Amino acid sequence: MQNTTQKALSTRIGRRSFLKMAAVASAFGATSAFASGNVTRAATKEEVKNPFPGSKLVKTICTSCSVGCGVIAEVQNGVWVRQEVAQDHPVSLGGHCCKGADMIDMVRSEIRNKHPMVKENGEWKRISWDSALDRISKKLEDLRKTSGPDSTMFLGSAKFNNEQAYYFRKFAAMYGTNNIDHQARI
Amino acid sequence: MANTWGYGAMTNSLNDIQNAKAIIIFGANPAVNHPVGFRHLLVAKERNNAQIIVVDPRFTRTAAHADLYAQIRPGTDIAFMYGMLNIIFKNGWENKEFINDRVYGMDDIRKEAAKWTPERVSDVTGVSTQKLIQITNAYARQTPGTLLWAMGLTQHTIGSSNTRIAPILQLALGNMGVEGGGCNILRGHDNVQGATDMCCLSHTLPGYYGLSDGSWKYFAKSWGVDYNWLKGRFKAKEWMNKKGFTLARWYAGVLAGKAGEDKIHNAGTNLKALVVLGNGITSIDQQAKVKEALDNLELIVIADPFVNEAVVLTDKKDDVFLLPAASQFETSGCVTATNRSAQWRSQVIEPLYESKTDQDLMFELAKRLGFYKEFTKGMLMKENKKSFKWPEDATDEFARIIKTIGFTGWTSKRLKNHQKNWDKFDHVSLMGYGPMKGEYYGLPWPCWTETHSGSPVLYDINRSVKEGGMGFRNRFGLMHDGVDLLAGKGSAPKDSANPDGYPEITAKNIEKVLGITLSASEKKRIGKNWKVDTSNIIAQKCMERGMAPYGNAKARANVWTFPDRIPMHREPLHSPRQDLVKEYPTYKDKPNHYRVDTRYASEQDKEDWSKKFPINLITGRLVNMNGAGVETRSSKYLAKLSPEMFCDINPGLAANHDIKNGDMMWIHSPSDTKIKVKARFTYSVAEDRVFLPMHFAGYFQGEDRSAHYPKGHKPYAVGESANTVTNYGYDIVTQLPETKGGLCRIEKA
Repeated sequence: MQNTTQKALSTRIGRRSFLKMAAVASAFGATSAFASGNVTRAATKEEVKNPFPGSKLVKTICTSCSVGCGVIAEVQNGVWVRQEVAQDHPVSLGGHCCKGADMIDMVRSEIRNKHPMVKENGEWKRISWDSALDRISKKLEDLRKTSGPDSTMFLGSAKFNNEQAYYFRKFAAMYGTNNIDHQARI
Repeated sequence: MANTWGYGAMTNSLNDIQNAKAIIIFGANPAVNHPVGFRHLLVAKERNNAQIIVVDPRFTRTAAHADLYAQIRPGTDIAFMYGMLNIIFKNGWENKEFINDRVYGMDDIRKEAAKWTPERVSDVTGVSTQKLIQITNAYARQTPGTLLWAMGLTQHTIGSSNTRIAPILQLALGNMGVEGGGCNILRGHDNVQGATDMCCLSHTLPGYYGLSDGSWKYFAKSWGVDYNWLKGRFKAKEWMNKKGFTLARWYAGVLAGKAGEDKIHNAGTNLKALVVLGNGITSIDQQAKVKEALDNLELIVIADPFVNEAVVLTDKKDDVFLLPAASQFETSGCVTATNRSAQWRSQVIEPLYESKTDQDLMFELAKRLGFYKEFTKGMLMKENKKSFKWPEDATDEFARIIKTIGFTGWTSKRLKNHQKNWDKFDHVSLMGYGPMKGEYYGLPWPCWTETHSGSPVLYDINRSVKEGGMGFRNRFGLMHDGVDLLAGKGSAPKDSANPDGYPEITAKNIEKVLGITLSASEKKRIGKNWKVDTSNIIAQKCMERGMAPYGNAKARANVWTFPDRIPMHREPLHSPRQDLVKEYPTYKDKPNHYRVDTRYASEQDKEDWSKKFPINLITGRLVNMNGAGVETRSSKYLAKLSPEMFCDINPGLAANHDIKNGDMMWIHSPSDTKIKVKARFTYSVAEDRVFLPMHFAGYFQGEDRSAHYPKGHKPYAVGESANTVTNYGYDIVTQLPETKGGLCRIEKA
């Protein structure tokens, strides 16, 4: 069954639009209008039961607040397709608030930053990572030489994971300053 | 808190609140900010008939669940808690044995509390004497009782005293170190506890090691770099030991030198570059100053999954870099929940678009700045490897180094195993069963060894150290003013080889204090003391003897190193009660407070602020939003629930200003700033105060800044930032901003 679906996925229409259509088709029944065109086809029996065949469930943790609710993310072909509460998580016990339930939409939000940008003469301009990193580090190194490392302020985040937070502190130390902070101070 | 008993962290857990027989909440709103955690409180209410008591300037949704509610005037929590202590001592409800054996300095508290009669408390706090007595009666006579707080208690000029008086109240009642008791700080963001433990902080190295030479040398060695190289990276050695600027006041580092700005002490330079990774700096106090600072920087680098609205606030035209950061679902690592337990967060998908993870961004910069090798070497050292694997080798690196808060047991392997088996833990105690038996979920720190259970309840002497028990930390010396600071006779954790108090363990005293003899090889390998003993011999031996590496001492109610040795009520800088300012004045101005001179008395005495600004201003969160709000405002669904910025106002107050429900209104601050927001009528605020949600940005003092968003990246909801009008004022110890006790003036727009 999975093979059939995989084959269907690789036909001429895009995977996402196919899934949408398959979902519509299964919700309303495979009407002739949907089934007869070249655009789409009826959902298979398996797809009616599970619209994301071959998907994986990933256990992870909500990024909203410090309760740390369990999140079950369903991933198919590298796409986060569905989110479910973690019924068996010992703290959240199947609970989610509206923010937690929105994690999947936050990640997939259309208005995310998509590529490096720089403001030049008051206008936003798209640049490459290499160019951004080269320009930033050149400027930082210049300032370090002319004004000293304490001319830079590093602001980290309570949204880091522990490894990143630890490495950000180390970064400031090796840059040569104690001008580093984040949101919480007590 | 750390200055009271050793560690500054939630002492119990959300699940443990199910054991409470009484619950009191100061300046926290878990029904809105921690909705899923809040259900554990409701279980306590249902199962144990626990009374929920809420003390808050605003009738919050948490207050709506409460049995008792006191609408306190902002910034008067100390007066309120002394009022409770006054009644407790008068009636003999304190736990005398606990105080005698485990607390230093309670007599000083007793003296101060005697001054806070119910009548006086009522005058200062605005809470009736009957309500105070009723609340004290309900809370003090039911044990165990748990005390919760959040930013409503900490974000004040006296925040660091607030966070001491609350522990003192719990110590007086003997509510510490017991299931169902404790001081339970509710952290905001998902990894406030973890990022704080890792010390993205200007006054200390990871694990709260501080900035002393000894600490730098320990870290240089543990990172595998030459101490002299590290020292050479700084302008001069002295700047390694000096605390840096904080998030609350970095702007002063840019603006210093301009007329009217506070003076700075920053290695002879102003701040010229700002590097921000995932920090919503539009939710910080004094937005007008933040804007001016941003405008005056030479370089702004911001990495965020969404547009960090700092770039919308600034008019800077060049050298503003906005980099696409991956979200936490596009990388993996561990995150520390509010109760000190670690959870492994698995990667869900690859970074979307061109976004990069924060670590990759740091690695790329380190390469270009020439210290990549030094930067990453710590990950290779444990197993002497050629290349590292992120994040596992980073987890194992800090587990290897950080002893102070007991991270030794937090290996990536164990944390992953906890995630895999998260269904195998008890819902109240969080103790594991089946293959997880003997371990608490998430190995709440301190987790002393690679087989330790984790510590679910701090300072609990009813369980053995091996099972997470411990006394208070010996952190403040052995004696003070002739009084023994070690714990009293018979108050050691269960199964302790030493039944009494004992000092923190060093290589020098280990044989004597533990009553053991070390082998020659152990003597050779052991570190100088438990905090730097990478051999972990001290922790191992301590486990065998049932003793905590950090000692067994008394908690202290008197912190002799603080400006106020015991917590004292002091009026906010901008107080609506000028009559009380004379009686309870603020501190003297503080020079060089995290590199910047900070005004206290001179600001408070400048004028009678209450004449022009008669209304109290409080801020807080909404259930559908988080932090500076850009993440949640970038969700269509969440944004729709609160599509625009508003001000909660009592209809009575509004009527006096001819403001109708839904009208636009101006709010003016003592810093001569203003915001234009929509009035929302509610009786949840009294007539002398207004409430603002803190999640908006995109407008500035009436001006729509939408044009400054890069095209296609504007969130679905924008609005004025509450922090444009929150008042000047900073905690005397930590420099947290005063966002919860300021003043304002309102008018119809």
